[in-house]
Amino acid sequence: MDHDAVVRQKMTERYLLNELDSDARDQFEEHFFDCLECAQDVRLGALFVEQTKVVLAEQAEPAMAAAAPKPAIPRYTGLAALFRPALAVPVFALLLAVLAYQNLVTYPQLQQAANHPQVLPWTAVNVGTYGANEATITTAPGKGFLLFVRIPPEGGFASYSADLVNPTGKVEWSLTIPAGTSQDQYPVAVPGANRAPGTYTLVVRGTTTTGLQKDIGRTSFDLKIQN
Amino acid sequence: MEFQSFDEAYLRRLRTRDPRTEQHFVSYFSALIQIKLRYKLSTREAIEDVRQETFARFFVALRDDKIQQPERLGSYVNSMCNNVLREQYRSGTRDIPLDDDDDKNDFPAAGPDMLDAISAQQTEKKVREVLEQLPERDRRLLREVFLEERDKDQVCRDFGVDREYLRVLLHRARQAFKSLYLKDCGNEPPEFASA
Repeated sequence: MDHDAVVRQKMTERYLLNELDSDARDQFEEHFFDCLECAQDVRLGALFVEQTKVVLAEQAEPAMAAAAPKPAIPRYTGLAALFRPALAVPVFALLLAVLAYQNLVTYPQLQQAANHPQVLPWTAVNVGTYGANEATITTAPGKGFLLFVRIPPEGGFASYSADLVNPTGKVEWSLTIPAGTSQDQYPVAVPGANRAPGTYTLVVRGTTTTGLQKDIGRTSFDLKIQN
Repeated sequence: MEFQSFDEAYLRRLRTRDPRTEQHFVSYFSALIQIKLRYKLSTREAIEDVRQETFARFFVALRDDKIQQPERLGSYVNSMCNNVLREQYRSGTRDIPLDDDDDKNDFPAAGPDMLDAISAQQTEKKVREVLEQLPERDRRLLREVFLEERDKDQVCRDFGVDREYLRVLLHRARQAFKSLYLKDCGNEPPEFASA
């Protein structure tokens, strides 16, 4: 029996399904006893059929009938897991609460603050050749304040940059200040934030028209928080 | 053992009673004989009798230098198995006496052991994996054919498929199983455990 014909005619399947007549069966057996490839196919095929009976017998009808059909529980994997109802519902509820608070409380307060004139605490600080000073500013929690920053004008810089460094040494913000030809004092409005009390440092650098930067100086002020 | 083909070296090792080669030979052909006989004999004992007698006659023929072509080893074994089977049919009994010659019975047994049991568990797991990949309809089809042993033509009519569909279904499932099996177990298939 030709091996190609055996494969083409699916003789292994016909053999396992017991479809062959006596002569064809004898011929195929003679073939697979000599053909290593077909012998392997037959051995694994017979093994598969035997084990299929075992597995399918386990899934017997009584067990299947006894169990009422259960609704399929969807599996969530990857990104879909973030949107499963058990997680998505409380998260969206929390987001709605945050949105409501912002719209009903925070934004009206900010709007009122922005639309109404107010007196802010302030202090003046000197940088560079103007020399250091001991400035102190007292403000309420979350409230802003004004800094009058005095910078000597003789450097001929195109602009200044100022970094506010908080008591832990971290730069809280940076600001670019356009240099005025005859101006040496710049009012800087510092926005309200939950700042910790302590010594804050303002570091000022001058920037030339060619983009070069040069340290001008630094100054400190003591921030006190009072209710 | 490393096995590529039945060649002259293999036959020489068999003649010199190399234990590993004998073990391989008996194991390899026991599986094929058991598959072949399960369609023709109804009890495990009858199959085992024919298997043992086949090997007994083969080793006698080998000792007497009657087996010369290594590439025809499979044909010899198959032919001897057919002869033993015919004799059993003629005698009308499964009790075929074995010769008292010690040499004839002194070949490795192919019975199940603990390793076979572990291997069977792993095999069952792979078969389960293959079956779970099939559509429910195809699983039911296999169930009715193999487990309930219903008439295949009737089953195919009930499922609205033809016999070729059944062959292709089995072919694909068998190939999937083969792929899984060889991936984990290498190229040597396990011993076939007859029912």
